[in-house]
Amino acid sequence: MKKLSSRILGLLLALVMMTAGMSIAAAESAETYPDIEYWFTNEGFLPAEVGGAYYNLTKETIGVGVYMPYVDWNGGQTYREQLALRVAANDMPDIFIYNNGIENSMILDGVALDLTDYLPEYMPHVWEAIPASVWETVKANDPTGQGRIWTIPDVTTFTRHGAYIRTDWLEAVGKEMPKTQEEFVDVLRAFKENDLNGNGAADEIPTGGRMEARWMDYLFAMYGVAMYEGYPEWDVYDGQITYSAVTPNMKEALKFVSDLYKEGLLDPETLLNSAGDWSGKFDSNRIGVYYHIPWVAYQRLQGIYDFTGGAVKAQVANLPQISAEGYEGFITVKPTGNSGKMVSADVAKDEQLMKAAFRVLDCQYNMEYRDLEYGVEGMHHEVVDGKKVKLPEDKATQELLILQTPGCQVETVDVISSRLEAIRTEENSWQIDESLALLNGNQADGKIIAADGMPSSVYDGYEDIQNRTLYVEYISKIISGEYDLDKFDEFVDRWYSIGGTEVTERVREWYAGKQ
Amino acid sequence: MAQVGRSASVSRIARLGRHFRNFWPYYVMILPGLTFLILIKYIPMAGSVIAFQNFSLRKGIWGSPWIGLENFRKLLNYDDFHRVFRNTLILGALKTLIVFPVPILLALLLNELRQPRIKKSIQTVVTIPHFISWVIVGGLTFDVLGSGGLFNQIRAAFGLDMILPMQKSPWFRPVYVLTSIWKESGWGTVVYLAAISGIDPGIYESASIDGASRFQKMTRITFPMILPTAVTLFLINIGSFLDLGFDQVFNLYTPMTYDVADIFDTYVYRSGIQQGKYSFSTAVGLFQSVIGFILVVIFNRLSKKVSEDGGLW
Repeated sequence: MKKLSSRILGLLLALVMMTAGMSIAAAESAETYPDIEYWFTNEGFLPAEVGGAYYNLTKETIGVGVYMPYVDWNGGQTYREQLALRVAANDMPDIFIYNNGIENSMILDGVALDLTDYLPEYMPHVWEAIPASVWETVKANDPTGQGRIWTIPDVTTFTRHGAYIRTDWLEAVGKEMPKTQEEFVDVLRAFKENDLNGNGAADEIPTGGRMEARWMDYLFAMYGVAMYEGYPEWDVYDGQITYSAVTPNMKEALKFVSDLYKEGLLDPETLLNSAGDWSGKFDSNRIGVYYHIPWVAYQRLQGIYDFTGGAVKAQVANLPQISAEGYEGFITVKPTGNSGKMVSADVAKDEQLMKAAFRVLDCQYNMEYRDLEYGVEGMHHEVVDGKKVKLPEDKATQELLILQTPGCQVETVDVISSRLEAIRTEENSWQIDESLALLNGNQADGKIIAADGMPSSVYDGYEDIQNRTLYVEYISKIISGEYDLDKFDEFVDRWYSIGGTEVTERVREWYAGKQ
Repeated sequence: MAQVGRSASVSRIARLGRHFRNFWPYYVMILPGLTFLILIKYIPMAGSVIAFQNFSLRKGIWGSPWIGLENFRKLLNYDDFHRVFRNTLILGALKTLIVFPVPILLALLLNELRQPRIKKSIQTVVTIPHFISWVIVGGLTFDVLGSGGLFNQIRAAFGLDMILPMQKSPWFRPVYVLTSIWKESGWGTVVYLAAISGIDPGIYESASIDGASRFQKMTRITFPMILPTAVTLFLINIGSFLDLGFDQVFNLYTPMTYDVADIFDTYVYRSGIQQGKYSFSTAVGLFQSVIGFILVVIFNRLSKKVSEDGGLW
């Protein structure tokens, strides 16, 4: 009995000594920073866990270990649900990204840290990199009405979107690059009628888009309709900021688009295509004009290359933004996106933790740490002749690059260009050249719309307006020919009656304040 | 009078005491199940109070402000409320009238198969779709009915023009019913086949002696014998009459079919879950449950009228 109790005592003593040792170690490491849990978009990469290769890389490079458990992005939906769970459990990640308006409730609930006073001192690179005008917008949008900065918004200072056209097809049918609407339709017809992919089937798709009338913005834009990835935007019409979907411009655009659909110049499945369906059709060498983010065209070109077994190195070029007669066409640009980063209010409880979070954010905007973009040697990149070369993306073996992936810093043409250069290899060099040409080719077509930086709180209480439910229903039916064009007027009336009037008032009030 | 009552209650208590002394092991046995029910089913039910609050994740149930019936008012004033309600009722009715009887029919047919091997393999084949998620079934449906899908290939063979059923409202309900049958009817036969195997073979034997044909045996013996099972399942189903299952509709509908396909669940998804409006979603859920509860009570009464020991309680 005595023996046993002495054993237990010994064990206890050992435990006490161990904990003491641990706390001494902790005191020593107080010189360095604690780890930061940073939630970012993950669409299938391995999680960057504590002690993992990516974690070690960040710890070595910036002195702060950055990690994130696996949280599936799933279009932002699963991410938001998981984040909500962590909020409810009172166990927030230290830094997290937001989108789609969730930031407002988080700020009002006291989940977010007020960054206003910390930015200039602790995050000078962030403070400098983001234009002062954007900070003003952020302050003006503070849902608490105090003009504070709670978010670090994603900023895009270039024309991100645009249509591109298969120039090899254009050449094959002996047409010039279309500059007017007539020429454009003429080219689409030529694309449809000639077996341009040479597979013997009349399966060519002149152009088209995705479910909910998305990703064919350029067709609407010919009539000056502000549209962002299929979401109608707010811009100045008739001297007043207005929802572009309820303007006469939209009605004209719809007439044009539904005519294209009727004639079979749009993919018949345009209104059913998922993201994968639509890009898959391009990759299978069937689409003539494709609206997307031009600089990622290299992925599509690789798709065609793979699909045809290396037989087709597709040639593409920017389709100039065409204007319908009497209208001014443009590509919608919104420098202040509806997404960005926030810091958990809880980090303020521990000064060292707070400093670590600020350091991570600041390093993301500090060009000195640019090489983080290349990730871990052997996993994300290899060194060839003393130069880092990115390895092809492989979700099965690569950990998520939390700190340097698209959308993470202020995006400019230069930043994107260097990102493209970073993935250039001997094999894909021709694709990178085409992507770079596309990126630089349509910058002049962009226009910053009036609603840039508008807070999503204008939609509070009007979810169906924010979700554009009514819009999608009517517009899809008009395009597919199930509804006559006259139904558009009914849509406008109903839109105003279900809350469009109130939302428009709020937007106009916000816009007056912005000016 | 009072004394009689008292002595009656005393003897009742005594009887109860004896009862517990005799049967306590049974009560101990139901204890885990009961605990589970209370912990997992009843306690969370109290969380429904957030339907009457402006719930905030951070403030929790205790800290969130009360707003009374505001969420219910919002639901009833919703512009498309009548459309959502109508669609839910129609799809619910289709599911009850057309989809529900299919497994009974299928079970009766399967039971008539004499070759056990064939019976088993058919049973396996029709049961498997139950394990496929609606995301996949939805994808398959879109492919089969798409421009290059089987449906349009057959139409083309007959010289008919291509049509895309998934973007036409009149097609939605048939597609909904057919996919429900395809996916769930095989699974539904499991319970009925179990009920059939429980029927005393002696009944069939005596029917044969009396000269009953196979069809007569099916309609006069098998069918009436599984009817109580069917009624019980029906009552269980009717409770979730308005609960059509978000997955199926969500994976089959498109903006062009909203007018016939938008139901409570998809509406809640768009306005509640997507936007993080937990209170409102709960209010709609509560509304659905109350209607479901009323329906169960009504149909329970009805089934009691039809048969002596019918009904759930």
